Amino acid sequence: MSVFMDLNLIYTGDRTGLRTLLETAAHLGFSTVAINYVFEPTSKKKQEIPTPTPINELIDHLPVVQGRSRPIRVLNRLTVVMSDSSHFRPNATEYRSFDLLAVQPTTEKLFHAACMLYDVDIICISVSEKLPFFFKRAPVNGAADRGVVFEVSYSAAIRDSTLRRYTIANAINLMESCKGRNVILSSAAEKALELRGPYDVTNLGLLFGLSDGDAKEAVCSTCRSVLLHAETRKTASGIIYTMRSCSDSAGQEGAPGDPEHGDPPAAKRHKLVLTQ
Amino acid sequence: MRPRLVSDVSSVGRYLLCEVIVSDRSRLLLLDDRAIAIAVKATVARIHGDYGAALCSVGFSVKYLNAHTGIVFLRMPKRCYKLLWSALPFITSIETRGEKIQCFLNCLHVGGTIRTCQKFLIRYNTQQLHRMLPKCKNEEEKQQVSQALLNCTLVGGTDEAFEDELRSEEDEEECLPNMP
Repeated sequence: MSVFMDLNLIYTGDRTGLRTLLETAAHLGFSTVAINYVFEPTSKKKQEIPTPTPINELIDHLPVVQGRSRPIRVLNRLTVVMSDSSHFRPNATEYRSFDLLAVQPTTEKLFHAACMLYDVDIICISVSEKLPFFFKRAPVNGAADRGVVFEVSYSAAIRDSTLRRYTIANAINLMESCKGRNVILSSAAEKALELRGPYDVTNLGLLFGLSDGDAKEAVCSTCRSVLLHAETRKTASGIIYTMRSCSDSAGQEGAPGDPEHGDPPAAKRHKLVLTQ
Repeated sequence: MRPRLVSDVSSVGRYLLCEVIVSDRSRLLLLDDRAIAIAVKATVARIHGDYGAALCSVGFSVKYLNAHTGIVFLRMPKRCYKLLWSALPFITSIETRGEKIQCFLNCLHVGGTIRTCQKFLIRYNTQQLHRMLPKCKNEEEKQQVSQALLNCTLVGGTDEAFEDELRSEEDEEECLPNMP
């Protein structure tokens, strides 16, 4: 049972472009995608954190996933590119409106902090430069214990030969310390033609130093655990979750736990149903 | 089962069933086997260098292309198909008849024989039909499509003739109808 996910589609203002992107992703067989809003603070002036556009405003009719009868699930994700520790503000209310939260540290110190301290779901590995530091075992293992995963995106590698070298070098560098676990592969695609099918991505994992099994996990089960981790961020240890009952947010904004049903995992809520 | 002769072993391959995805479907008709083979070989050489190019020159071929649906069968030697496959995602365009078609290959299935790929393809195409049918604009169009489907018959006739044809692995295009 494999459900493929691509947790990084770059948000562009272009509605039709985004629609074709979602349609292509559904055609390729991705059942869950996340629209990524990149936020890059500069030290000069304070910038606004982007607010996610609701999915039903972006696209009125969600395409049906290849091989399934459900429409594709679309989540929102924020990526904060950090070059200074003040850029990530824990407890910022703006972060709450996103389903997934990611950081992209640029220095070793920030990488260490992101692995051990920050309450995030994903740590992005830069693809536009050769990272100036090695991944040490301690922070990488710490991240694995906390359920934070590392993300390698491949569309830059498709675009350009130099970026391909950086991507592969950084990815292999990472795989040496994390031994292939807690890694997800995602596209970071802006255009529909930069996406790749799930089997191709799995095989591409071989170039990034992943074994067959790990590469498969990097597009299915690790992504699922990211979604579950994102849910625990919103809730009290993943047990109690409060929401306003008047809102009609059943489909998209519901807990991003189960990739297939759109509603929370059966095991967690089952008892509640019985007692009602 | 018939034991394999030694000479068979050298020809063991893997068949990759790929779909060419383009933004404008009408441009698919420009494609031909040679253009795809050239694009794949060039990309493998770009990604894996001389070693890849050498592997690609033995036992790699484009077995089948359906320009209407954009389906391609690629044959690769079994011992290095993963290496060759890992170069396929880096294809961004195929040059044919002086034009560059922006596209990418999406692998749908990997099979040990053409036959398993063909079975998969038939199932896949049926599935595509079910995906497309709700897009019909009105009831009349739907009727027309289903009528056209019912009128389809296999050229090969009975199932047995069909299998014989496959064993010889000669005339693959005959045995690849769009619908079951």
